[in-house]
Amino acid sequence: MTTAAISPSRQHVVLRIAAAVLGGYAFCWGFIALAMSGLFALGMSFHDAEHLSAMLAFVLYAAAFCWAFVVRSLARAWLVLAGGGALMAGAASLLQATLIG
Amino acid sequence: MFQNLRQAMTWLHTWFGLALGFVLMVVFFFGALSVFDREIDRWAIPESRFAPQPMPSFDKVLKPVFESMQPSKESIERMKDRVNGPMPEHFDVVRRWGAYTTHRDPVLGVFASYVVPNAKNPDDGVFGSRTIDPRSGAALPDDQLKIGSRFFYPLHYSLNFHWMDLGYWIVGFAALMMLVALASGVVMHRKIFREFFTFRPKKSTQRSALDLHNMTGVVALPFHFFFAFTGLVIFAGIYFPVAHTQLDPLHELHEQVEAQETGLPHDRAGVAAPLASVDTMVAEAQRRWAAQGMAGDVGFLAVQHVGDANGYVSIYRAGTDRIALVGNGIHFKASTGEVLREDPPRTAVDGVNEFLTGLHLQHFRHWLLRWFYVLGGLSGCVCIATGFLFFVEKRKKQHAKAGSQGARVVDALAVTTVTGMLVAALGILIANRLLPQAVPAGWPPRGDLEQYAFWAAWLLAMAHAFWRSAPVAQGRLAPAWREQCWAIAVLGVAAVLLNWLTTGDHLLKTLAAGYWPVAGVDLFILTGAALAVLAARKLGRRAQAAPAPARLASEAAHA
Repeated sequence: MTTAAISPSRQHVVLRIAAAVLGGYAFCWGFIALAMSGLFALGMSFHDAEHLSAMLAFVLYAAAFCWAFVVRSLARAWLVLAGGGALMAGAASLLQATLIG
Repeated sequence: MFQNLRQAMTWLHTWFGLALGFVLMVVFFFGALSVFDREIDRWAIPESRFAPQPMPSFDKVLKPVFESMQPSKESIERMKDRVNGPMPEHFDVVRRWGAYTTHRDPVLGVFASYVVPNAKNPDDGVFGSRTIDPRSGAALPDDQLKIGSRFFYPLHYSLNFHWMDLGYWIVGFAALMMLVALASGVVMHRKIFREFFTFRPKKSTQRSALDLHNMTGVVALPFHFFFAFTGLVIFAGIYFPVAHTQLDPLHELHEQVEAQETGLPHDRAGVAAPLASVDTMVAEAQRRWAAQGMAGDVGFLAVQHVGDANGYVSIYRAGTDRIALVGNGIHFKASTGEVLREDPPRTAVDGVNEFLTGLHLQHFRHWLLRWFYVLGGLSGCVCIATGFLFFVEKRKKQHAKAGSQGARVVDALAVTTVTGMLVAALGILIANRLLPQAVPAGWPPRGDLEQYAFWAAWLLAMAHAFWRSAPVAQGRLAPAWREQCWAIAVLGVAAVLLNWLTTGDHLLKTLAAGYWPVAGVDLFILTGAALAVLAARKLGRRAQAAPAPARLASEAAHA
């Protein structure tokens, strides 16, 4: 197997995998929450919004998973995936609060 | 971490493919078997070997069956902690009766759920189920395991590992890794089109394993992608329960609106009411489906809030004539039989969703397409198995020189998941035919014993694989592969013979009668046994051709 010239530490590999698995999950959770509440707010029926956002989310998860290994900086992987997920989830909760109001 | 995209993708493909490949193998193989789960049920339960039946008359057959039902002991046991005060002796308030069948089912599964008085959560309930002969209403013994639909099928999506739903999560993660492996596999290989046609069986094991891995991976790529993806979509509610957690308030809001729109009562009225003729309602539903040009077999029939003024009957169509998983439900007021609601036409998103789930779950009637599903699933198994072989072949000489056991461990695990899995699957079928019809008092239920046989056979195969793979650590072929191939051949023939001896249904008889469910299972097993013999003989010749220590030494000298 062609080994990478930069040989990463074990800790780095574990954090990479965690970013892909957990960060990717958080990102997709946030995406689903925001897409679901957003589409509902735009007039789509609840279950349609639920199904559509879930379908897109699985493709997104696979892409995010790969990206977590491609992006150069580990900090950036975590920031975008976990941070982005948290932001989207927060926005979804705010949107929900106004919808229920 | 990596210098370029290809390196990153190769690393991902190798290590996640290896780690989750063991799970994916199980998912693909038992998924392929699940395409014919109902037929495997027929093989395992000889009393149910008759022609598929339509949904029987509710008024004449189903009603007396439902009225004689009570919740199961296990269900009552599970409810004990969730109720204030003692549990009643007899459950009288029925929340729901349901009966479900497909165009491949001779027997009918019925279930009933009951309201539990004083339940801490009023939505909680207890359940009972039964399998009946729809021609007479007679119950089948309830300790008979439907090996196809109740063991192989759930193994496919949950590994039958229900503790904290962990099995679902493992399979879900494996499906996600399947998507990742497909994407990374495409990036890794530049000559995707050429690999479509490349197979060099005469070259080294490593080369032909890789050729076969690429060929099955590329040829069936759309199939593999679709199944991993739609499998995830089907269980999206488990993997991302957003609608029941973070967005639950929004969901509640929607449910209230929906209940108003559909006019189907969410709760009981508390006023007793009789049940009108359900057969008349079925006839009306069929008339309405026919008016829209749709086949009119009833697939699912349910009575909600039984015996209450708010009760209603829902009748769903068996979607045998299209891919999309549709119901075209029509709902009637239980006490009068008047139509309350007809499910509206699907929205675009719903249409896509039902098409995707329907494509995966195949309720349609199309035997050729069913066989393509089996072939697709088995090609996935070939793809994963050759991936393991390539991993081992590429490293075993290196590992042998370095004195590492890595390749040996992977090879032993590969034997366990490839041939060992087949040994286990044959083990449960053989146990099913060998166990006495009524197990002696004090034994676990028959179905449980069959499952123990499955896991015991698999464990044995694993022990054998680890024991007989020692030569891999010296850069040679593991005898475990060959020996387990012989085991598969012997067990396969034994399973078919036992079916003949215990039921009298030998192949000449089932083929002459055109009873394909049993003939098909027998033929499938025998084909597998024949392939196992071919593989075992080929492996035997190869082991003889290479008196390995000398070969390794000379190769090491050349290296």
